[in-house]
Amino acid sequence: MEPIIAVVVGVLMAASVYLMLSRNLVRFVFGLALISHAANLLIFVSGGMIRGMTPLIAPNAALPEPGVANALPQALMLTAIVISFSVLAFALVLAFRTYEELKTVDTDAMRAAEPDNGIGEES
Amino acid sequence: MASGFKIDARVPLYARLVVALPVALFAWFCTMVPATAGGETLAWEVAWLPQRGIALGFIVDGLSLLFALLITGIGSFILLFSSEYMRGYPQRGRFTTFLVAFMLAMLGLVLSDNLILLFVFWELTTITSFLLIGYDHEDATARRAALQGLLVTGAGALAMLAGFVLLGDAAGTLSLREMLASPASLVEHPHYQAIVILVLAGAFTKSAQFPFHFWLPNAMAAPTPVSAYLHSATMVKAGVFLLARLTPLLGGTDLWMETLTAVGAVTAVYSSVLALTRTDLKQVLAYTTIMALGTCVMFLGSPVGSEGGTASVGLLAAMSFVLIHALYKAALFLAVGTIEHSTGIRDLRLLGGLRKPMPLTFAATVLATSSMAGLPLTIGFLGKDLLYTAGFLPESAPYAVWAMFAAAVLIAAAALLIAVQPFLGDSPNSPKVPREGRWTLWVGPLTLGIAGLVFGLQPQFAFNRLLVPAAASVMGYQPHFEHDPWHGSTAAFWLSLTTLATAVLIFWRRKAVFGGFGRAVSRLPLTGDQAYDVVMAGVSRLAAWQTRRVQSGIQRRYILIVFATLGLGLAVTLVIKDAIRWPTETPQATLLEWSLALLVAASAVVTILARTRFLAICSLGVVGTCTALIFLIFGAPDVAMTQLIVETLVTVLVAMVLLKLPDFSKEIWPSRAIRIRNGLVALTVGVSITLVLLAVTAQPPQRAVTEYFERTAVPGGHGRNIVNVILVDFRALDTLGEITVLGIAGVAAFALLMPGPRRRLKATRPTKPSEKARQPDATEGAA
Amino acid sequence: MNWLLVGPIALPLGAAVIGFCLRGRDSAQRAVSLIAALGLAGVATKLLAVVWQNGITVSQMGGWPAPFGITLVADHLSSAMVAVTAVIGLATVIYSFGNTPPGEISYALHPLVHALLAGVCGAFLAGDIFNLYVWFEVMLIASFALLVLGGTRSQLDGAVRYAALSLIATTLLLSGIGLLYGITGTLNMADLHLRVQEVENQGLLTVVAVLFIIAFGIKSAVFPLFFWLPASYHTPKAAVSAIFSGLLTKVGVYALMRVFTLIFTHDVGYTHELLLWVAGATMVTGVLGAASQNELRRILSFHIISQIGYMILGIALFTEFGILGGVFYIIHHIIVKANLFFVAGAADRISGSTDLSRLGGLYRDRPLLALLFFVPAFSLAGFPPLSGFWAKLLLIQASIEASEFVIAGVALAVGLMTAYSMTKIWLNAFWKARPADAGPPPMPLPIRLRMLLLGPITGLAALTLAIGLYAKPLYSVAERAARELMDPSHYVEAVLDTDHPAQRQVIGRPPAQ
Repeated sequence: MEPIIAVVVGVLMAASVYLMLSRNLVRFVFGLALISHAANLLIFVSGGMIRGMTPLIAPNAALPEPGVANALPQALMLTAIVISFSVLAFALVLAFRTYEELKTVDTDAMRAAEPDNGIGEES
Repeated sequence: MASGFKIDARVPLYARLVVALPVALFAWFCTMVPATAGGETLAWEVAWLPQRGIALGFIVDGLSLLFALLITGIGSFILLFSSEYMRGYPQRGRFTTFLVAFMLAMLGLVLSDNLILLFVFWELTTITSFLLIGYDHEDATARRAALQGLLVTGAGALAMLAGFVLLGDAAGTLSLREMLASPASLVEHPHYQAIVILVLAGAFTKSAQFPFHFWLPNAMAAPTPVSAYLHSATMVKAGVFLLARLTPLLGGTDLWMETLTAVGAVTAVYSSVLALTRTDLKQVLAYTTIMALGTCVMFLGSPVGSEGGTASVGLLAAMSFVLIHALYKAALFLAVGTIEHSTGIRDLRLLGGLRKPMPLTFAATVLATSSMAGLPLTIGFLGKDLLYTAGFLPESAPYAVWAMFAAAVLIAAAALLIAVQPFLGDSPNSPKVPREGRWTLWVGPLTLGIAGLVFGLQPQFAFNRLLVPAAASVMGYQPHFEHDPWHGSTAAFWLSLTTLATAVLIFWRRKAVFGGFGRAVSRLPLTGDQAYDVVMAGVSRLAAWQTRRVQSGIQRRYILIVFATLGLGLAVTLVIKDAIRWPTETPQATLLEWSLALLVAASAVVTILARTRFLAICSLGVVGTCTALIFLIFGAPDVAMTQLIVETLVTVLVAMVLLKLPDFSKEIWPSRAIRIRNGLVALTVGVSITLVLLAVTAQPPQRAVTEYFERTAVPGGHGRNIVNVILVDFRALDTLGEITVLGIAGVAAFALLMPGPRRRLKATRPTKPSEKARQPDATEGAA
Repeated sequence: MNWLLVGPIALPLGAAVIGFCLRGRDSAQRAVSLIAALGLAGVATKLLAVVWQNGITVSQMGGWPAPFGITLVADHLSSAMVAVTAVIGLATVIYSFGNTPPGEISYALHPLVHALLAGVCGAFLAGDIFNLYVWFEVMLIASFALLVLGGTRSQLDGAVRYAALSLIATTLLLSGIGLLYGITGTLNMADLHLRVQEVENQGLLTVVAVLFIIAFGIKSAVFPLFFWLPASYHTPKAAVSAIFSGLLTKVGVYALMRVFTLIFTHDVGYTHELLLWVAGATMVTGVLGAASQNELRRILSFHIISQIGYMILGIALFTEFGILGGVFYIIHHIIVKANLFFVAGAADRISGSTDLSRLGGLYRDRPLLALLFFVPAFSLAGFPPLSGFWAKLLLIQASIEASEFVIAGVALAVGLMTAYSMTKIWLNAFWKARPADAGPPPMPLPIRLRMLLLGPITGLAALTLAIGLYAKPLYSVAERAARELMDPSHYVEAVLDTDHPAQRQVIGRPPAQ
């Protein structure tokens, strides 16, 4: 299964890169959402995928059954999901406020921070 | 000059008191004369950065003492002079501080034992010089001159630093004393040539050698005491000092001798021609200074010779000329300063007839110019005799003596010009009525002028006590010196007399000669000063061009470059490091798994292609949901649940925000070429990541850490859900950080949405436009 | 739990939480902020002292033994970085008291500064690479919030670029960590040092190393990944610009230094050669960028990039001396760069502009400010006897010692360009007369405000001068840091050889001589 997901990760990455290359800020944010899925899946694949066996320890046992899924990557993914949600939410609000102030979502037209690139005069 | 400043005509007390410092130092150094004259080297050292062999080490030998005496002796007169000269100028405190700081830096430079310490002082003289040239800082010319001096000498200094580091590497020590103890091996070192070139770059820029000479005349923008001190008598001699100091280590080779002789000769002749084309007295003096520096450099290129041989005279001549020049040039600069102070002008074409109102200054000038021209009885005559004697030696370059002759003739003519033009003839056409200034003004030039005469009449003291010991430090042995100035009919003697005669001839026909020089010089295709401008403009253009290309202000270009770097970096490394591993077995997957995988991939593609926001949000949702399902299938229900919740939240948020944003319908879709380019970059990244991931999955699984968690979850972590135990116990710190991120993201979003000044402004504008409308927005003007 | 290691994270984090709760109560918030900043300075100093005395100090979080739990590690590099972070934190807090205009209460400035400090210190102390990522994110989100405080157009625009590229960087970092875990099965950096040596597919490791170079490279603003920096650093409040300029990129450099001495040292001929090229290109493009600008903070921003190149050079040389120079450079740079941004803020406050064409006359009217600019500016340009001189000298000596003559030449030339750039500011803002159209000459600031603004500037300038006059203490710290980095066995032993996992003990070890 890992090779298949590896390809899926590649597709997700490529798609998100493509979206981020757009001049539309909204599409950039879509790319951001997509790339965090890619990263999560990537961690999942890297840690090894095992069907069905949840990393739980039965009430009367000291150890989980042999062959349970790798718990550590799952913990990492949970942390990463929450973090990427946080920053994504921020990015959305930022996009909204930027639109409110600059009246555009076209990043090419956003020239408030680097208006003329500072290279006004050429001597 | 000082427009807009409050003028304080008093001489502040500190400006007078501070003179005591160089006087005391001068006296202190005088007490060391017997020791160094006896060939001793005094040393003092304290650790500074011992790990790198950098010490605060100082040495006093013949060479450094000669310079130290010049610095403190002339420095005393300069400080005395400037206490009067700067009367009424603003920023006296800063000026005096910089001047004293310069003096101490210069002293440190000549006394340093450690190369790095020497460099530190070297740069300190650069900085103080920068601050002093730019004294008149509201004048653009002064600012330009200050910057030019800093950049030209700074560039040389950095090259020199590299040379010092190489030299230290080659010698195994940074201490000059230790190097001088065993100098022979350096010349054989593979880095020898590089060291020489780099060190010469430093010395030549500092000592204004052709083609780096141009900054020095511009530096005359500084007040005259500064020009007198830094840009003629001392700082510019630092290069000469360095060459002298390093001669025992690096000298004696063809590379060294030929370069020094050639560069020095060109500099001397070229600058003495230029000197005669100027009418500003300070400019004339500046170019004759360059001539003197060129002469010193030229004769420092003399062979070191050996004990008892005749060859030693070249280096002795160079040392003598350092002293001679410092004496007469400081005197002349101060005299010019006095003239300027009294008349308000310093243009040769306007000056005249000052002999009567300013007799003492005239006397000083005559004495100094006599030494400059090399009239008999002055020390200048002895110096020239030595120079010619050295030039005629068979070991010297055949052109040396003739270059020297040409330069000496022109300088003697310039000396005549300086002595005659301002003082004889008609009264000056000046804004002030000329009169002799206070004693603080004329005592310096007069004393220095007399010193030139005294040394000329009694050469034994100057030579035996100062110059021969100095030359001895350069050569490593005591040179034979038994000078009889009236030794009669040698070639050098006759050439000296010819020099004077020719100079008088030129002065007599000066209109024609100077005019001819002026025309010749104006035909030069490019002066150093213009070349400097060309380089600066070129750098500016390059910088602007590069920044326009790189920092374009267009976000998608930034992102494109980042991802292109990523894709290329990964792909190239994958290939050349042979990291690709294909899976050995065909992947096993159920129909459901296949369809989920395909669905994720397809939805990702749909998101790209979607031309409406609704479709894009839907397909994003499908990606999220399907990945959650994959997690569920592969034993990660916690992750799946979280993913679903987060996905829902994200979708809601996205939908809410998007309602406020414009539709895709107004979107400008990129051209085909751009789509292909972007697609290629995206594909490279995607394929590379897939290949990396395939290679990772081909590795044997590593579960040691997880197994520990499985073993310890119940006994140690008291939990049966291993993932949960990891989150709240084993890796609780991660979870803390994660919560922090979530919390701050909330704060950040709130900060963005909170009615800040600008938003409040919008809300309140109709009612209260006055007060809050002036909320600062520094960048608004730019936008 | 070893509070010396936890303190630099817990203290600012606590201050941030309390500060948020005190929202609206300005003076209470400020008091908390100042106390926490002082406390951080105290803890950081103590930590540095302990590490200097006892060697690498380790704390296993939750008592779980390495490599299973999360380890906090303070070696000489980490503790020095934490110490200088505390200094900058304190300076920022004091400065921002003066820099916040009366009436405008920025309700979250102080808490966010502390959150940023917590993230930065966490990153420096993390002994676990995923934990490092988490602290990166804390730092990042705090910096987002700080960047947009005030919400002007240019701030939002700058924040968009900053956020876009930073988020790409952290996602790449996360991916890199995932891959590294997949290859080695561990996250503890000391353990990673051992595990990577057993990896069969060394080429794959190199690929992952390149991914880390790019991820950390974006964070450290190296060529060609630095775009976010000049696009955003000039937009926020002066205090925020200053702390950003001092700390953010240096966390990236720190991470590169850590990872490329501890983990990815299997193919130095490739990875570090790559870094060498990056270093050279970064120095040159940065300094040329600066030469093209006419706005004070934008000039300074481009110089950050250029200076980052020097630090990367130290890593790329991969000799003890090179790393030493790099560490020295980082510390020097943090002090000097933050200070220059403080000065820019003060100049803005006094003159009402940071545009060189609208500035002038400061040398005549504000000699103290001129002096306080002169010291860090000429230190940045590498003039003696200031800290920057030693920093450049050491790196140039290290390059020459490693026979990398070309890069030594580049470093020297870029030094000259830096001097040019600093003198350009000096000539225009300080020496030139105030332009006629720039309005009436500035009124003197009230004494309290002057103390608050110039106090931190003076302190940092004094530090610059002190390092310049007596470089030995900092050199010795950098020397030990470099020894530890070039011989990771001490680090690995200190982290992994805890006798008893339940005892969160300090492992003291005399430094290698």
